[in-house]
Amino acid sequence: MKALYIAWKDTQRRFSDWKALAGMLAAPLLISALIGLAFGNLTSGETPITDIALAVVNHDEGELGQVYTDVLHSDDLAELLAPEEMDDLEAALQRIRDGELRAVVYIPHGFSEALFDGVQGSDFGSHAEVQVHTDPAANISPFIVRSIVEQVSNGLSSALLAGQVSALQAAEYADLLQERMAGLGEAIAAQLSQENFDTRTSRLSLNVVQTGESGPAFDPYSFFVPGMAVFFLMFSVFDGSRSILQENTRGTLPRLMTTPTPHSQIILGKMLGTFLTGLLQFALLVLASSLLFGVAWGSSPAGVALIMVLTVFAASGLGALLTSAARNENQAGIIVSAVSLTFGALGGSFFPASNLSGIVDLASRLTINRWAMEGFTKLTIGRAGFNDILPEAGILAAIGLITFVLAVIGFQRRFVR
Amino acid sequence: MTEAILQVQDLHKSYGKTEAVRGISFDILPGEIFSLLGPNGAGKTTTISMLSCLLAPTKGDALIDGHSIRNGAAQVKGVIGVVPQEIALYPDISARENLHFWGRMYGMGGGALRKRAEELLDIVGLADRTKDKVETFSGGMKRRLNIAVGLLHQPKILYMDEPTVGIDPQSRRRILDTVIELNRGGLTVLYTTHYMEEAAELSSRIGIVDHGELIALGSQAELTHLVGESDTLQISLEADGYDSAKLLDAVQKVKGVQRATLEDGQLLVQAQGAHAALGEIVARINKAGARLLDLKVDEPNLEAVFLHLTGRALRD
Repeated sequence: MKALYIAWKDTQRRFSDWKALAGMLAAPLLISALIGLAFGNLTSGETPITDIALAVVNHDEGELGQVYTDVLHSDDLAELLAPEEMDDLEAALQRIRDGELRAVVYIPHGFSEALFDGVQGSDFGSHAEVQVHTDPAANISPFIVRSIVEQVSNGLSSALLAGQVSALQAAEYADLLQERMAGLGEAIAAQLSQENFDTRTSRLSLNVVQTGESGPAFDPYSFFVPGMAVFFLMFSVFDGSRSILQENTRGTLPRLMTTPTPHSQIILGKMLGTFLTGLLQFALLVLASSLLFGVAWGSSPAGVALIMVLTVFAASGLGALLTSAARNENQAGIIVSAVSLTFGALGGSFFPASNLSGIVDLASRLTINRWAMEGFTKLTIGRAGFNDILPEAGILAAIGLITFVLAVIGFQRRFVR
Repeated sequence: MTEAILQVQDLHKSYGKTEAVRGISFDILPGEIFSLLGPNGAGKTTTISMLSCLLAPTKGDALIDGHSIRNGAAQVKGVIGVVPQEIALYPDISARENLHFWGRMYGMGGGALRKRAEELLDIVGLADRTKDKVETFSGGMKRRLNIAVGLLHQPKILYMDEPTVGIDPQSRRRILDTVIELNRGGLTVLYTTHYMEEAAELSSRIGIVDHGELIALGSQAELTHLVGESDTLQISLEADGYDSAKLLDAVQKVKGVQRATLEDGQLLVQAQGAHAALGEIVARINKAGARLLDLKVDEPNLEAVFLHLTGRALRD
């Protein structure tokens, strides 16, 4: 109970500090607005990105590779994508390097065969691979192409595995469930229902369709607001974690420890205060961005809430751990600022981390921002459901749990004499 | 015989090879104001920290209202009130909010806490500033609120660690009056200070601490008796223009002079029959080429006791 009093006291103090509020709420909203304006679409919510230049290099001899080509050329995506077909992969990649293309979708030789062989054997799809090559200088368009290709791949995978719903049935369901399955879903269903698909062995699962009512429209706010929210959350939560060292320096922590309050409750209260502050900050940012920018946080409020809570949990845990390891308040300040900036840059708060590769991608996966952004992007842009973000939620929960436990041990060692 | 509310038994605290407290022992009786008097770094705050269960003693123990600081910390914390040397308050919330928060940390709540907070705000003279943020208070007001927090749960003994450091004389006077008033109401106080006058005015008994050791203990009269009939001459000189070592040597050779120290132009001389020796001392000062700025003769006091016991002045 005393831990709650400590937590609430810290939260109240934080939210009565105008300077802190400026950093916690005003700054992320302001920067998001500026980025949104740069994309030239402040209010309409319609896509500011059209005619994404991409090439499809289809070396597959079978029918399944053609599905990708057909979907990318479908009418539903006509405004968004400007695809062309090429034969030479290297030439296509060169056009990315020359800045002419944003992405190349490459379907290799034997793709269909590998998929069908996999169905008959036990290692479904183990050798079938569609490659999406993207322009590292581009931020959004590669992400959109990757997202579409992933959905087609998911559709094929599900269709070949499920064995429950025929392609024709899927097309019927697409009609029945228009609100949920319009746009891209229909295009995929239509392609999969053509005669080149053997309905006796191949099936189309309903979970192919994850696009919204109006197709894959892209709203920059849906990416940048979560990005900025996570970025600034790290700053404020990390800064909040330092308050235990501030209290130690200013004498209130030793005084707390002269009261009949168990030390564990004091430490828990301090950490809970940071968590509560971060949670309120993020919740207010979600609310404000919805009202100001019309950001659609996706069709799963529970998913958004889960990723939000776990992002704050992980950030609070890491902040506490870093603080517990710092020698003093100033050192903690330097460490948490460096980590916040690094995490922001690596973790996808400024650009989709899905563009990263190699060791940078690996480093990115060690950041809280990466998993938070993957979760939020799935929800806001991918319109994914609650179950789809569970992997990201699990990783954030694990980060939070491990860092919290280590931080508690660190603080106990440090302050309990 | 009244049983002591606080019994300190051979308390030690070491940090590596450094001994901050070296075997301090004393008792405090209920209703007493007991002062630990000593210069900065003498070990007063370390002692208070051990008695507050903030630091574990290296050796020894203390019983507070019958509870050991070694294995009864939870009970000890329930009966002590602590007024730390620093202003341990939250500056960005109001005086009342501070008291309510700290009251909850002492397990108080509801109407009893609200009533006690208002009562204390009145006692420390802040009843008209209850809603103001602490950061808007003067140093003296913060110190008074700092004291109020230590009194919230009506402790059996209040530790006050240098509560008047860095404040103006008026605020200091007010704090001393508050301590006297609280003691009249029956509160036992353990008071640490390096101001001799505070210890002299407030305390029923005084323990003089130096280099982590309790070097003398008793009432003011008992302590001053240690220096016999010696008076203390406080002589202010111009800081330079003479040889300090030669001057000190010359003064120490005057008949009746027991001890003399010279630091930053402040010459302290402890002498039997100081008035008689005064003429010769002044003559030697003049002969050494030093210019005398001020001169005062003090009757035996705690400063003289400290000088007598340590050979040093009781200074910061």
